[in-house]
Amino acid sequence: MKTENSKVNGIQKKYETVSSDVLIIGAGGAGLRAAIEAFDNEASVVVVSKSLLGKAHTVMAEGGIAASVANVDSKDNWKVHFSDTIVEGVYIGNWRMAEIMTKEAPDRVYELERYGALFDRTPDGKIMQRAFGAHTYRRLCHVGDKTGLELIRTLEDQILHRDVNVMDEVFITKLFIKNNSVSGALGIRLRTGEIILFRTKTVILCTGGAGRLYKVTSNSWESTGDGIALAYNAGAELMDMEMIQFHPTGMVYPPGVKGLLVTEGIRGEGGILLNAKGERFMLRYSPEKKELDARDVVARAIHSEIEAGRGTEHNAVYLDISQKGAKFIHQKLPGMYSQFMDFAGVDITKQPMEVAPTVHYQMGGIRVDPETCRTNIKGLFAAGEVASGLHGANRLGGNSLADILVFGKRAGLAAAIYSSKTALSSISTEEISKEIARINSFANKKKGLNPQTIIKVIGETMSEKVGIVRDGKDLGLALTKIQALRKKAKNVGVSGSLKFNPGLLSCLEVEGMLTTAEAIIRSAIARKESRGAHTRKDFPKKDPKFKKNILSYKNGNSMKLKMVSVPSMPDRLKQLVKLEVY
Amino acid sequence: MAIKTLLNSMIPSELLEPNWRLLSFIVLLISGIGVLMLYPMSEFHGYVDPFYAPTVLVVPIAGLFRLTCYAYRKDYHRHVFNHPNACGINIRGDSMTRDYSGETKFFRVENLHRYFLYAGILILPFFYYDFYISLIYSGSFVLRLGSLLLLLNAVALTLWAASCHALRHLIGGRTDCYGCAFAGSQRKSLFNWQSILNGHHEFFAWFSLLTIIFVDLYLRGLAAGMPIDLNLSKLL
Amino acid sequence: MKELTINIFRMDPAVDNAGKYKKFNVPVQEGMVVLDAVRYVQENIDPSLALRWNCKAARCGSCSAEINGRPRLMCKTRVDMLEEEITVSPIRAYPLIKDLVTDVSNNYEIERRIPAFRPKKGAAQPFLINQIDVTRSQEFRRCIECFLCQDVCHVIREHNTNYIGPRHAIKVASLDMHPMDGIDRSPMLNGDLGLGFCNITKCCQEVCPEGIKITDNAIIPEKERAVDYKYDPILRLARRLRRGSSAK
Repeated sequence: MKTENSKVNGIQKKYETVSSDVLIIGAGGAGLRAAIEAFDNEASVVVVSKSLLGKAHTVMAEGGIAASVANVDSKDNWKVHFSDTIVEGVYIGNWRMAEIMTKEAPDRVYELERYGALFDRTPDGKIMQRAFGAHTYRRLCHVGDKTGLELIRTLEDQILHRDVNVMDEVFITKLFIKNNSVSGALGIRLRTGEIILFRTKTVILCTGGAGRLYKVTSNSWESTGDGIALAYNAGAELMDMEMIQFHPTGMVYPPGVKGLLVTEGIRGEGGILLNAKGERFMLRYSPEKKELDARDVVARAIHSEIEAGRGTEHNAVYLDISQKGAKFIHQKLPGMYSQFMDFAGVDITKQPMEVAPTVHYQMGGIRVDPETCRTNIKGLFAAGEVASGLHGANRLGGNSLADILVFGKRAGLAAAIYSSKTALSSISTEEISKEIARINSFANKKKGLNPQTIIKVIGETMSEKVGIVRDGKDLGLALTKIQALRKKAKNVGVSGSLKFNPGLLSCLEVEGMLTTAEAIIRSAIARKESRGAHTRKDFPKKDPKFKKNILSYKNGNSMKLKMVSVPSMPDRLKQLVKLEVY
Repeated sequence: MAIKTLLNSMIPSELLEPNWRLLSFIVLLISGIGVLMLYPMSEFHGYVDPFYAPTVLVVPIAGLFRLTCYAYRKDYHRHVFNHPNACGINIRGDSMTRDYSGETKFFRVENLHRYFLYAGILILPFFYYDFYISLIYSGSFVLRLGSLLLLLNAVALTLWAASCHALRHLIGGRTDCYGCAFAGSQRKSLFNWQSILNGHHEFFAWFSLLTIIFVDLYLRGLAAGMPIDLNLSKLL
Repeated sequence: MKELTINIFRMDPAVDNAGKYKKFNVPVQEGMVVLDAVRYVQENIDPSLALRWNCKAARCGSCSAEINGRPRLMCKTRVDMLEEEITVSPIRAYPLIKDLVTDVSNNYEIERRIPAFRPKKGAAQPFLINQIDVTRSQEFRRCIECFLCQDVCHVIREHNTNYIGPRHAIKVASLDMHPMDGIDRSPMLNGDLGLGFCNITKCCQEVCPEGIKITDNAIIPEKERAVDYKYDPILRLARRLRRGSSAK
């Protein structure tokens, strides 16, 4: 590490320089798995994350890792998992990514076990698997309802015993690109307010999703779509940004926990959904699968009931598991029992829960190559929720943990190989100075606009106008609103220094949030059909014309969209999947 | 000089600090033992005193078993030595300036807890035997209130010993793979059952101490002629 | 609207290193937790107030603080359970950075010193593990690394020893009790990692938001393992005899 000086507006600005082969942004499951792989392939690795190491949103994953190890249902194999994934993605998912993920997930699960993860077991001592919505077989390898936590702890342990430079609480504000390839990044160490220049041959973006764009979400504070905006500004292509998964059941009351996830496991264990009149409405929407239909179907059903005025006073429906009895609930759903007891004072063994859909996952994201996770920028890779393609128009529960392990590893390997053949390139001091000046411009601003006022409006706009059921008029209004906010956002600023200043961080996040929101809205306007998680009131049917992926990318100072065909599946895979019907 | 270093490495400073709680504790301990030695209570109408079996054996074994017990260790480290005297950060006194050695110096002897457990288990049956003796004292089977108290005392002591952490270790605390061990699943269920008892170890520790003192005082009361016994067989 | 008063510890190293409590009035919402109140201040009154939070669901362990003198997660402490006036300070066992944020990085240094999981020699893969053998270790794997136990531990907080603290003791136990693990860390734990300094006063167990029985299920069993290899005279003798006979 060395300290360099540059002159900005005549003031000396100091910054540290950190050099590496691979810079990984984000320390969730994908980032840590990528770091292990890159390090084991002789690359020097730096991992930066916005929060502390081990706090990433991955810890919230409850269900499990979808992998067809066939420990419980012997008929399961990667082909069935592949077919489930493509069908749930409503045929716009990338076939090669789905093939890679379903074939490699079992290896990644066993590898995690060799790293020290301790899964629940079957009676014959193998890894236990549980059933989940729209999976043909019981497939989710799990550790109680804390699979994500175990995954993170295990990978964290591996990272801490390797010579990987983990720099937590560092926020990356910009990627430097030279001749369409990565040359570095600039970040701020939140703890001290120091500026850090990362000189690197490759960057792997593992920054997760953008649930915090919405007012009601199950996502962590961190999920503000930073990686999407970084990639977009660097010139990378985004894809299927309109595809936002709403989880059918989130808490609604008390207000402080609105959006907090209520696990699918409750419905899996026999919980039923009732409207305010006490009707089991899923019988009308999905007579066969009822409460256990795909997430988009159940979420839309709940939404329709509430819209039709059959919701509770808090605009929700009831989810009732009390008929199963206290003993059963304490044994199978202890986490949910205490969640409702602690936060809402509701005893779920006696009373129904109030639930409503909550933003859960972003299927879209940065467009990547299936084999290597590279983007259209040389040396820029992406893996996990920030990348797109695998889940198409809807994600199966449990596929996200499989995704981060499989593609985290692939991205790490590809980045290590790429960096071994590349030299560090220089970064112009002018660009550095400009970015440092931009960061400084937000701080010590006495009359700056509080960034929270903008973030609040983004949340309201997205939740109200780009929600579970959309229509052209509302989307148009939302776009206007976001563009107006972008002008307003120029005035944000906070008092206080650069040192651990959450207000400053919000100032830095706002622009990225607006960019991500814009991409979501523009893509949602362009997709004039209803497919998977994307539902249009004005185009309620699925349309073969839109069996396409929608790209969004930066052109000059404006966002451009492009429709591309979904890569067509080879015959050997076509025969595994039932034909799409319209 | 060498002796001083040796003493320093052996004696924890909390034993040397001026501490009224420690002094009171020592006074209480010595007077308790003194009373038992000077005024031994052996037997009254078939009731054998729980401190007498014989006293010279019970008092040291039970005493050391209690002093090295994990439940009492928590209590005297907190309330006698004030390390710390409360969990609440705003209410506990600051001990930054005080020297502290935990269980590394003299208190290492606490690691011999398991041997006092073994000895304790050896003398446990005598308490049941004493209960039996009290039943047949009059030549035929008679259940008196005092007998019930002796039984209560025996059960309390058994629960305390059965919930011991060292016993837990002996049963299966050191086993990481029951699946690989002989009769593993049976041992694991035994371990799980013992773990439930173990969860109440602190309660049993105090309950059994209070019981034994109460029974001793009860017998002394009887011996002093107080009319506090009852023939329960007659009531039935 | 009903209001509550919250005293938040403020310290900006740019101003001075002492810091002081500042009083804020916050409107009360039903079911409100302390984090809601602190975030209300941060979002509406002073955006520069430093705090850590992430999941707001008691699963990530970021929002640790001392609330009315007791280490707690801000996101899990309802204001209606507390007295009228609430006082929030950072977890003081760690060096203060600013306001409610402390430097917890030395925890990662400690974790580097604990040997990672290494499968037993000759263990067939994939592992076959009985369900009865995963429960003990899994209890400690619920740990969300909020470090409240480290904060309340008087050894960590008040004395300068080599003890690694309750969080890391359960980490060692979770590895030691993994049925396929091939390393015995208890000698190290009782040696360089300083477990002897723990006097089992159980405050760690009292504050654990996950309800992990830190002392009963991890620290005492590890102390008993230490007795096996270090203090138990009969076991020591037995080992010496065994070693002697195998040497011949």
